[in-house]
Amino acid sequence: MSDMRLIAPCGFAKRSHRLRFGWLTASALAAGTLCATSQARAAGTPAGTIINNSATATYDLPSGGQDIVTSNIVSLTVDELLDVSVASTDGGDVSVAPGATGQVLTFRVTNAGNGSEAFALTALDNVGGDDFDPSASAIVIDSSGNGVYDPGIDIVYVPGANDPVLAPDGSVLIFVLSDIPAGATNAQRGRVDLVAVAATGSGAPGTSFAGQGQGGGDAVVGATGADAEDDGFYAVAAASVSFVKSATVVDPFGGATRVPGSIITYQLVATVSGSGSLVNVRIADAIPAGSTFQSGSITLEAGTLSDAADADAGEFTGTGIAVRLGNVAAGGTRTVTFQVAID
Amino acid sequence: MKLLLILLAFFLPSAALAQDQVALTSEVFVERTTTDANGASRVSLEPPGVVTPGDRLVFVLTYRNNGASPAADFAVTNPIPESVVFAGTESAGAVYSVDGGRTWGALAALTIPAADGTSRAATLADVTHVRWRFAQAIPPGNGGQLRFRGTVK
Repeated sequence: MSDMRLIAPCGFAKRSHRLRFGWLTASALAAGTLCATSQARAAGTPAGTIINNSATATYDLPSGGQDIVTSNIVSLTVDELLDVSVASTDGGDVSVAPGATGQVLTFRVTNAGNGSEAFALTALDNVGGDDFDPSASAIVIDSSGNGVYDPGIDIVYVPGANDPVLAPDGSVLIFVLSDIPAGATNAQRGRVDLVAVAATGSGAPGTSFAGQGQGGGDAVVGATGADAEDDGFYAVAAASVSFVKSATVVDPFGGATRVPGSIITYQLVATVSGSGSLVNVRIADAIPAGSTFQSGSITLEAGTLSDAADADAGEFTGTGIAVRLGNVAAGGTRTVTFQVAID
Repeated sequence: MKLLLILLAFFLPSAALAQDQVALTSEVFVERTTTDANGASRVSLEPPGVVTPGDRLVFVLTYRNNGASPAADFAVTNPIPESVVFAGTESAGAVYSVDGGRTWGALAALTIPAADGTSRAATLADVTHVRWRFAQAIPPGNGGQLRFRGTVK
């Protein structure tokens, strides 16, 4: 591999050798330099590249004319630098519900080294800095490359069996799937770290693995230690509803005593707190014993609802009232009233 | 074997056949910074067992006039290897090329043309060749060293 690269001469060196004499010829003779690729790479010169250096000296000969002396060629092989970076791409906490399964965190793993390298992945779900521990159930490689977790299409990661192999500067999206404990409560955060480690080896920067580098040289641990991780967070967006019931009594005499014939107005206030929203919130309340429901007395947000089970949001069921509040966002309230007469 | 040598000699350029009176050798070292137990850092030059992108290299050229007469109009030229970024020389008298050896001069006098017809001042990283030219002839038996630095891309 490297030998082939060596043979490929620099286009410039050839040209100048033909066209000119003197200094340029001298530099052309000395040009044992590699001219294969000169594109700038974040990861640096590819592993296995050979760097050759040689100089020339020129001087006037006593007999006239010029002599050119070419030095020996010193060669260096660029060894494989093992570097990796991991970054969460979620842009913030991922909202989950308590007890939810297969919730997705997304990370990007990038080969920051200069050789093709496989990376072993681990998801750490039992780490500090959070309120609950999610249970990481799977690591999935974005094999479809579309940036979105596709169940059944993207390949589930099996340590040692399909460690993603990344070219220098190459990267891949990794999904971590976790189950959220049912006991997690609103606004609690759960952290999962994704760790990527170079398969060739890792450790203190400068650690060398003889002969294990791409291109036959050594593999050397770079500044990242060839071991990187980043954290992703789940945040429980749990909304909860609370009901407050109050009663106002008006007696037949204009007072507030509870006597037969007194009208009791019950007010039910549903308040949704937390974050997110609640779906299909319902209120049901029984008519207290010893009282009679007053027809046409159900209201929702000050609008009257008919007693019949029809298109509107509430009805009298014969034993109580039922009102469907629909979806209520966190911070919202719904107020329902109805009246009974004391028997 | 003899025949082969004769054939080789026949095809070699005449300059190489002449008895070179000047010897020139090229060496390269890696500059390593180590921190001792007391926390003091020490820079040492080591033979490069391993180089990786970002390593700092020191190239050392040693010349010596082994001949009987002075070597006049003496100059040493070193093209910068492709995977190395030139990082300067401490040896006096250097001139540079940033266009593959076509033109030479002090770095401050060199420019890099841009696609839009303008140009910018050349930097160390643009250097493609470095050359030292000696005003005085090298007397017989004398020599010296030239050094320049580079960083592995």
